[in-house]
Amino acid sequence: MSDDTVIELRNVTVQFDGKVILDDLDFTLKNGEFCYLIGTTGAGKSSFLKLIYRDLLPNYGDVRVNDFQVPRMPDKQVPMLRRSLGIVFQDFQLLPDRNVYDNVAFALEVTGNKRSFIKQRVLECLSMVGLSHKHSNMPEDLSGGEQQRVVIARALANEPRIMLADEPTGNLDPEASRSIMELLQQINNRGMAILMVTHNYDLVRQFPNRTAKLIDGKMVDVQPESLRTI
Amino acid sequence: MSFSYVLREGFAGFRRARLSSISSIVAIMLAVLLLGMLARVSFNAFELAQALKQEVEVEVFLQDVDQSRTNSLRSSLEEYEIVETVTYVSKEEAMEEFRREFGPESELLGNVNFLPAKFTVRTTPDAAAAEIVGMVESIRDWRGVDEVVFNQAGLELLEERLNMLIIAGGALTLFIMLTAMVLVFNTIRLTIYAKKNLIKAMKLVGATNNFIKRPFLVEGVLQGLIAGLLASGLVWLIFNYLIPVYLPIAGVLSWPFGRWFYLVGAMLILGIFMGLMGSRWAAKKFIKETSIA
Repeated sequence: MSDDTVIELRNVTVQFDGKVILDDLDFTLKNGEFCYLIGTTGAGKSSFLKLIYRDLLPNYGDVRVNDFQVPRMPDKQVPMLRRSLGIVFQDFQLLPDRNVYDNVAFALEVTGNKRSFIKQRVLECLSMVGLSHKHSNMPEDLSGGEQQRVVIARALANEPRIMLADEPTGNLDPEASRSIMELLQQINNRGMAILMVTHNYDLVRQFPNRTAKLIDGKMVDVQPESLRTI
Repeated sequence: MSFSYVLREGFAGFRRARLSSISSIVAIMLAVLLLGMLARVSFNAFELAQALKQEVEVEVFLQDVDQSRTNSLRSSLEEYEIVETVTYVSKEEAMEEFRREFGPESELLGNVNFLPAKFTVRTTPDAAAAEIVGMVESIRDWRGVDEVVFNQAGLELLEERLNMLIIAGGALTLFIMLTAMVLVFNTIRLTIYAKKNLIKAMKLVGATNNFIKRPFLVEGVLQGLIAGLLASGLVWLIFNYLIPVYLPIAGVLSWPFGRWFYLVGAMLILGIFMGLMGSRWAAKKFIKETSIA
C-alpha cells in the first residue's frame, strides 16, 4: 500500500450462504479523498463498510486500512483500528441519556484521555460542527440535522484519518442534508478522507466527488452527472 | 484507562436503568436470603446435635480396687484423645446421688452401700460413635473394671441424623446456588441487553472489550452489595421478629458462632460474588456478540 493510500481492498470476495456479495473486488481510497459509494439496496455497500471497520471478514482477499492489515490483525487490535476511523451512521446512535457534551466526550473517555484534554477537544469538535452553544442540550431536544452534527463531532473527536459515513443524510430533510454535506465537505477540505454510502443522487450531483458504484459485486467508477434521481 | 470513568459509569449505569437494576438486585437478594436462612438454621441444628452429643456419657463401673489402681485407670482413660473429661464418683458419692434422686424412699435401704464406684467419661463433640465403641470395648477388658455402660443406639441415631442433615443441607445449598446463579445470570443479561446501544456506541468509537466490561462489573458489584445488605436485614427481621412471633417453639435461633457479622459478612461476600460473576459472564458474552452496525 502506498503512503498516500488510506484504504485498499485487493481481490476481496464476500459470500453469505453461498451467495456472492462482493466478487474479487479491488478498491483504493487516497489520503484526503472524498468518495461516494452508491449501489442498489442489497448491492453490498454496508458489507463493504463492515469489512473496513472489521465487523465482517472477507472469504478471500486482503483489506488494509491505514497501517492495519484488517483480516489478519488480532481481535485485541480492532479497537485501535476503529479509533483511526470516524464512523457515522444514518440512525445517529447517540446515547439518549447524556447531553451533547457527554456524547462527544464519551468517545475520548473510552480511549483513556485526560479530563482537561477531553474538555478542550470536545469544545473544539462542537465548534467545528457549529453546536458549541448546544453543548448542554439533550439529543431529544435537537433536530435530526443537529443530532447528525453531534455524531460527526463524536467521530472527529479522536482525530481519525478516515471518516466512514453510512447514509448520513438518510433520515434528514433536504435542507438538513445539504447542511450536513457542506460540513462533510469542510472536513474533507481539512485533509480527512471520506467514504460515504448514499442513495441520494441529488446530493452527489450537488457536491460532486469521486463516485464508485457497486454492481454485481464489482466496483466501478461513475460520473456524478450521469446519475439519475431515484 | 480512566478508573474514575469506570466508577462513574458503573454508578451512573445503575441509576440510568433502575428497573433492570432492581430486577437483578431482587434475584440476587432472594438467592442470598435463602442461603443465609439455610445457613442460620443449619448452624443451629448442627450446634444442637453437637450439644446432644456432649450429653453422651460413658460410665465405667469399677470393682473394689485400691486407690493406686483407681489412679492408674483414670490416667489410662485420660490418654484417649476423644476423652474430654473424666470424673471419679466414689461409692459414697454414688450413694448420696442415689439418695438425692430417690428421696425418702431411699431410706428403706438403711445404710447399705451397694453402689459401685465409677468414672463418668465425657467425650469430645467430634468423637465418632465408632471411636467411642472401640474405646468402650477395650475398657471392658481392663483389670478392675466391672462394667461399661453408654447409650450406643442413641449416639448412632444422633450421628446418622447429623450426617443426613449435613448431606441434605449441602445438596440444598448447591441446588439453591445453581438455581440462583442461572436466575441471576439471566436477569443481569437482560440488564445488559437493555444497554446494547451504549455497547454499540462504545465499540464504534474504539473502546476495548475490557473497558466496556468494567462499568458493568462495578454495577454488578454494587447490585450484589445492595442485595446482600437487604438479604441480611431480612434474615435479622425473620429470625428476631417473625419466627419468635409465628413459630414461638423455635425461639430466637442464634447467629452462627454467636456473632452477627460472620453470617452478614458471608452474605455480603456471596451477594457481591454473584453480582460480579453474573455481570462478568453476561457482559463478556454480550459484548463479544454485539455488532456495531
